[in-house]
Amino acid sequence: MRRESIHRLLPFVLSLAAGMALWEIVGRHTSAAFMVPLSETIHRFWQLAASGQLGTQFLDSATLFATGFALALLVGMPAGLLLARVQSLRVAIEPYIMILYATPMVALIPFILSLMGFGFAPKVLVVFLFAVFPILYNTIEGARSIKPELIEVARSYRSREWALWREVMVPYTLPFTMTGVRQAIGRALVGMVAAEFFLSSTGLGQLIMTATQNFDTGGVFAIILVIGLIGVGLMRFGLYIETYFARWRD
Amino acid sequence: MNVAAPTTSIARAKTAGRPVGAKARIRVKGLGKRYGTLEVFRNIDLEVGDREIVAIVGPSGCGKTTLLRCIDGLLPASEGEIWVNDQRITQPIASVAMVFQHFGLFPWKTVYANIAYGLKLAGATTAEIAERVPRFIAMVGLSGFEHAYPYQISGGMQQRCGLARALAVEPNVLLMDEPFAAVDAQTREILQFELLRIWESRPTAMVFVTHSIEEAVLMGDRVVVLKGRPSGIHETITVDLPRPRSRGTLREPRFAELRERVWGILMSEARAAEFHLEK
Repeated sequence: MRRESIHRLLPFVLSLAAGMALWEIVGRHTSAAFMVPLSETIHRFWQLAASGQLGTQFLDSATLFATGFALALLVGMPAGLLLARVQSLRVAIEPYIMILYATPMVALIPFILSLMGFGFAPKVLVVFLFAVFPILYNTIEGARSIKPELIEVARSYRSREWALWREVMVPYTLPFTMTGVRQAIGRALVGMVAAEFFLSSTGLGQLIMTATQNFDTGGVFAIILVIGLIGVGLMRFGLYIETYFARWRD
Repeated sequence: MNVAAPTTSIARAKTAGRPVGAKARIRVKGLGKRYGTLEVFRNIDLEVGDREIVAIVGPSGCGKTTLLRCIDGLLPASEGEIWVNDQRITQPIASVAMVFQHFGLFPWKTVYANIAYGLKLAGATTAEIAERVPRFIAMVGLSGFEHAYPYQISGGMQQRCGLARALAVEPNVLLMDEPFAAVDAQTREILQFELLRIWESRPTAMVFVTHSIEEAVLMGDRVVVLKGRPSGIHETITVDLPRPRSRGTLREPRFAELRERVWGILMSEARAAEFHLEK
């Protein structure tokens, strides 16, 4: 058991160390306009953190992410269940969902800008649009796969529509929705940065823009690293909740 | 005593005899069911008394399960009427519970939550559920497995859970849809006697659909044979074996006699079908 975990850990640690070393070496032999070594990146990270800038902008981004994502979940899951339950509605609406899901959301940003301007709301909309479709899509597919036998059992026990949702549809569909949530996390992160770049500049996106304009390559790398690590953390969290809600599956 | 209705007769005994109990819980009158042009069964008349078990046997596809679903109110009949507890059946009603061949357990609910399901939907409080569910868990022998999910327990245990869920709502009519068809032979035998033991302690009207002749004779006060295409009640055999029935019942000569008789009736059908003697 212990030996196995070492076997798994060792390649990971070695690869990480090699990557860091490579970054450091290449960084030291490249013009600082393009790239800086890891040590410089970490140095800039501490400076940004100590100045309070990183914390403030991080909170700003987190608020945007959380608002957009929460809305996506609040809309995506009930809408998905409804579309799975009402076939005519699904047939009518599914083509629009497919088109929107397939459209690169970045392409919509100029349109959203001209429509809604520079406030907080249009940015939330961008995050929402990035996140909602995987949640919606997975919920529909999940809810449609409920065994008809179980719906029959519910009918035999005289379940009303609301009880059918509460006792059968929602608990059955949650693991599928959570798969959508996990996929949506990565997309919402892209949406967040894109909104901060292209709409009013705030948060971590703004920090990257400012650092770029100041030729602060260390700063740019530091923020990218932060966003990347947040992404990894959120994906891990997504995987955890997905497993948690699917614990009744064999 | 007299079960010697002519075995060779092709005459159709349309009415399934008089119920043993004082009062008919279930009354099925002239029931027919068809899907488009496919007629499943026609002209079914059946009464099931209080504390009476009626077993329904018939070849695969004869509509046994469809009949049961009609009685539960899950399927609308095409002709005729069903009355349960003097209530005309158009949808499932509260005093009837069904046990399914596929168990029908909710995989995301624990054993406890599955058994509590019917009570919860019937509007029982948490306190009532907490008081009643453990009793039924103990009754079907699932103590210690309250918090297991269905995938963690055997098929036999899953059906014990399905049975407890049905019993927990204290129905006076139990509908059993081939309840032990999906478990292995030994488990099946154990569950048959467990069910008989439970039924003795709280007798209800019961319709027991099965394709096992032995099971039908062991369980039923009467055995109804469905035959033909579209099917109808071909014959009703009164099972005069004493209750309580136990493993000893299986060794009685009378049991073997009745089993052979039902066998003979079903086989004449099989032969007829084979040689296209039926119209």
